[in-house]
Amino acid sequence: MQRLTRLARLMATAFSLQYAVEETQRHSEELTEAKSVVEQSNIELQQFAYIASHDLQTPLRGVAGFAQILQRDYQGQLDEEAVEHIGRIVAGCERMQALISDLLTYSRVESRSRPFEAVDLNEVFDDVVAILGSSIKDSGGEVTRGELPTVMGDRAQYSQLLQNLIGNGLTYHDDEPPRVYVSAENGDGEWTVAVRDNGIGIGTKHHERIFEIFRRLHTQDEYPGTGIGLAICRRIVQRHGGRIWLESKKGKGSTFYFTIPERGGEQQES
Amino acid sequence: MKVMDVNGRPADILLVEDNNDDVVLTREAFKGSKLKVNLHHVKNGEECMAFLRKEREYSDAPTPDLILLDLNMPVMDGREVLAELVKDDALKHLPVVILTTSDSEQDVLNMYKLRCSAYTTKPVNFDKFEHIIQGIADFWFTVVVRPPNDH
Repeated sequence: MQRLTRLARLMATAFSLQYAVEETQRHSEELTEAKSVVEQSNIELQQFAYIASHDLQTPLRGVAGFAQILQRDYQGQLDEEAVEHIGRIVAGCERMQALISDLLTYSRVESRSRPFEAVDLNEVFDDVVAILGSSIKDSGGEVTRGELPTVMGDRAQYSQLLQNLIGNGLTYHDDEPPRVYVSAENGDGEWTVAVRDNGIGIGTKHHERIFEIFRRLHTQDEYPGTGIGLAICRRIVQRHGGRIWLESKKGKGSTFYFTIPERGGEQQES
Repeated sequence: MKVMDVNGRPADILLVEDNNDDVVLTREAFKGSKLKVNLHHVKNGEECMAFLRKEREYSDAPTPDLILLDLNMPVMDGREVLAELVKDDALKHLPVVILTTSDSEQDVLNMYKLRCSAYTTKPVNFDKFEHIIQGIADFWFTVVVRPPNDH
């Protein structure tokens, strides 16, 4: 009798085990399926963003081109108001162009990425300062750095990341000429890079949302921008297995931080 | 003032482009260059091949000194044109400059693999577009030795 009971228990256990195994298998199949659906929709999203951006440029070139021709060749024949209206069309086109170009960059963080390599961030910094040369000069600002590490990653994307963060530091300032300082610290198996500015600062309640695409805190007239730059930064940092955040108070400048795993080079699946 | 030409005649340039705005903008951009240009226009790849082979209404068409080829077009696109040109002994010597909105690395690489002469993109800003068109005119008609073209 005891044997029978044990046998029955064993069988019950075996059944439930088998059930559990099947369940697990089913889950893992579902997971694999879900993963491939997500991957597929990611690819489609990138393709959509690319095609939308690309196909938007053609009609825009028409509008911008003819407005510019009017502006240049008919200047003397039009009254002041007409000239002003044309100026607004041209400015609107330039803004649209900036949006499209940033959207393209955003859609390409994964699709146009390079394999990771050892990248000297000091060199990247020097390149970025050269690229931003005219905005540094125009703003009367200064961009400096401490000693930066060599890390694994996508060189072009690190350049884009620093360009956006330093560029923001140069843009969002008031009467004081902008000062941007880039430094790095090592700890807990990762590098933390800090981009500090003396600008207008950002209220605490915006610290999370500011990394969302199209999220802006100012109008075009106050500070120009597309609202895509920090979203690009976050995507790049995530692709490199790091985190990005900021410390800032309104009126007291901002410091943006991002981390890079020291044993980095592990590309994150998108 | 137009001071550049091809042995006393205007340069024959074939523009393969489906978008009419881009055709007008390209004409406008050539106006600013020093090169005398006969800009011929066809609206897709099929028409381009007929023009080059002097078929149908194109029996009197000149052989162009330079082809400006758009990539994304209906019926027959620029990729197919280039693929067909390189297979055609009578046409494969013609210089082809790609002029497109696409800056897809795949397109750039594939077009050079098909031995396009140069790959350029059309910027939205007209001043920049003009600069590119004039750069093409300068380079192809003052710097480069082009294949002989008697017509």
